[in-house]
Amino acid sequence: MKKMLSTIFVGILIAVLIGFGEDAKGASSIVVGVDSAPITMDPGGSNADPNFSVMANFFDGLLQRREDGKLYPALAERYEHPDLLTWKFYLKKGIKFHNGNPFTAADVKFTFERLKDPKCCSEFMDIGNQIASADIIDDYTIVIKTVTPDPSFDQNLDYLFMMDKESTEARNQGKVGIEPIGTGAYKLVEWVKGSYVKMTANEDYWGGAPPIRDVDMRPVTESSTRFAALVSGEVEMISGVPVELYDKLVNNPKIEVVSRPGRRPIFLALGNKPGAPWADMRVRKAMYMAINEEEIIAKVMRGQASPATQLADSAMVGYTEDIKRLPYDPVQAKKLLEEAGYADGFEITLAGPNDRYVQDEKICEAVAKYLAKIGIDCKLDVKPKAVFFPEIIAGDKYDFYLLGWLSNTYDYRQNYTFLFYTRGQEKGYGSWNGTSYSDPELDKLFDATDGMVDKKERRAALEDLSRKVMEKIGVIPLHLGLNTYAVQKAAEINFTPRPDRWLIFKDISKK
Amino acid sequence: MATYITRRLIQGVIVLLCVSFICFVIFRYTGDPVVTLAGVYSTIQDREEIRRAYGLDRPVIVQYVSFIARAAKGDFGNSYVTRVPAFGLIMERFPATVELVVTAVILALVLGTGLGVLVSLKPYAATNRLIMAASLGGISIPTFLIGILLIMIFSVYLGILPPFGRGETVTIGFWRTGFLTRSGIAHLILPALTLTGYQLAVLLRLTRAGMREVLTEEYIKTAWAKGLSPQRVIFKHALKNVLIPVVTMSGLMLGELLAFAVVTETIFQWPGMGNLLLKSIYESDQPVIVTYIMLASVIILSINILVDITYAFLNPRIRYD
Repeated sequence: MKKMLSTIFVGILIAVLIGFGEDAKGASSIVVGVDSAPITMDPGGSNADPNFSVMANFFDGLLQRREDGKLYPALAERYEHPDLLTWKFYLKKGIKFHNGNPFTAADVKFTFERLKDPKCCSEFMDIGNQIASADIIDDYTIVIKTVTPDPSFDQNLDYLFMMDKESTEARNQGKVGIEPIGTGAYKLVEWVKGSYVKMTANEDYWGGAPPIRDVDMRPVTESSTRFAALVSGEVEMISGVPVELYDKLVNNPKIEVVSRPGRRPIFLALGNKPGAPWADMRVRKAMYMAINEEEIIAKVMRGQASPATQLADSAMVGYTEDIKRLPYDPVQAKKLLEEAGYADGFEITLAGPNDRYVQDEKICEAVAKYLAKIGIDCKLDVKPKAVFFPEIIAGDKYDFYLLGWLSNTYDYRQNYTFLFYTRGQEKGYGSWNGTSYSDPELDKLFDATDGMVDKKERRAALEDLSRKVMEKIGVIPLHLGLNTYAVQKAAEINFTPRPDRWLIFKDISKK
Repeated sequence: MATYITRRLIQGVIVLLCVSFICFVIFRYTGDPVVTLAGVYSTIQDREEIRRAYGLDRPVIVQYVSFIARAAKGDFGNSYVTRVPAFGLIMERFPATVELVVTAVILALVLGTGLGVLVSLKPYAATNRLIMAASLGGISIPTFLIGILLIMIFSVYLGILPPFGRGETVTIGFWRTGFLTRSGIAHLILPALTLTGYQLAVLLRLTRAGMREVLTEEYIKTAWAKGLSPQRVIFKHALKNVLIPVVTMSGLMLGELLAFAVVTETIFQWPGMGNLLLKSIYESDQPVIVTYIMLASVIILSINILVDITYAFLNPRIRYD
């Protein structure tokens, strides 16, 4: 009798629990599980990609980037770049912010000048300090002058989101940081930090009302939980498929995995201080050739990466296809070491983060093993990014470390100035050049490109620079990870991954 | 009693000052907030400008004193990441953690003592041995593993319980509660079970050990001999004397879980304070970390004081004069 009662009790419990299952989702709404949470609703508050991804739904830039990685008009219908310092924008007319205010040149001026204020926009100081003046010609024409020539200035305009002057000035920073007022295709419904961002379509959007009306974006940072959320049907789509669970999702008949090559090259920075063994070209070559990148991709990245040939991705100005990787050849590598006089190898420390990039620590371990095979005694020093990155920025601590670099400007200029340019000069370049790599010849080549207005000439010069950097093995490139997403087949989502990993919901639809 | 409480409060303030100072210094050296503030694409000059604007170029001790001076007025500074007040950021997540932890502790207390008493009465029965063996599992299996296993079983394979988040919530004043909706309760089940596992096992074993000891005492034999009902003997005479360590333990648990339910909150993406702490440490968001740890200390200190006061009610022989 007792047994029967308990069976009945368990039966009822299960029935009740099944009742808790979520209702089916409609065609005009979508629930997405994302791998990182938005930080603020102030577009000037954070330049992290997960934040841009959310901001791009509430706000528009003067320009926009599409899935092909190219720039298209957005709030500016066209622009001119008459001389090295001047950028002239012609704004679209009749656009309104979510609060009804019209979008005019005054808002553009306000947005750019706001970026100079370290209290609200410290992550955009690089842009803010570059703006010399913003002059309003009329309500729909504005001229921006930069302090120094910046031929790739327009490449920033897809993520510099235009804010409403009146309502931003009227509210305090706390309010601006939680209630976005933009011109974008969606309006914020509710943001519960750590739980969800709910948005609804802006029916008056200048580009036409988006097909999906209600968006529910839920951050699920723990990768196995994100996997469970998708498989259990709590969300219809996830970004960031964990490497270790990839096979499971691919084999699941209800799930479709969508991926595209990422834009972030993972590489090994290698200093060239005179006197160090690794300042010798033959040693640099040997270290490059000792690393079996194919095996790293197959075993450590489980196939979720493609080999990198240079510190640029194919969407960038400065990328060139004619750079090839050095072949994996430990025998030749050993010979090169002998020629350089290091037959018995030498000692080097490989540093790196252990919580930043996919499998970062494992990659470092693999590299150390490959180097050991040609006789180099490679010690490991991996640590959390919160400790590691400041050390890189402070510089002069490591000669050899793993890093990834995402260029948000799609232009090699940024990569060169941050990663290779000689440190400690008045321009303040080289802020991520933690090994203090220095090559005056390359710096000179770079300086020449800053005076070029002609896009073709400049592109060729940057490609040449990129080629020279790789000839001198400025860094050892490893791979570009894949950006992966998984969707429920039943939800019939039309989705094309973007190079910047943003989720722009106006471009997503359901059948 | 009053002098006792005053003394404890003064001690508390000193502890708080020490905790905040240690924490301030440690997190100042485990990551440079300027790197967070300046973002990836800043030049060396930008960083110096930001360092000055936020007063981070001053000596650590000066920064600490100005932080404490402002904290005394209730201003804990703004988060470096989100740029909104750190205290508000934490309090916004407070209800989620409280609801999860209180549920877990109540479960542990009720089931732990209940099963403990049950097991102690017939220690050699087969089912009771099974319960004891399971409790060993509860103590030794790490929380994150229990959480992942529960998700795998109930969300992925059976598909009956949601794997993450809080579900639908209702806001009453400033308090956002998940207790009032069906989806809120469904979302609470797995994380609460995960969090309660270890605590339940500990309380169970504690109760059992205490009960077995007390049940052999002379006064219990007298009670049986007097012909008292089993309920009276077990609950009034035996259990009440076992409860002191159990209450101490539950109090400590409550404080510790409120402050550091980090692992469970992370696995279940529970939007509580622990989740925020972890994220803030990753981003070296110093104002949030320090405020958080001070708040955690306040919670643990006050719960300890409450536990001490409860002793006096459980055992009238304990006095604090």
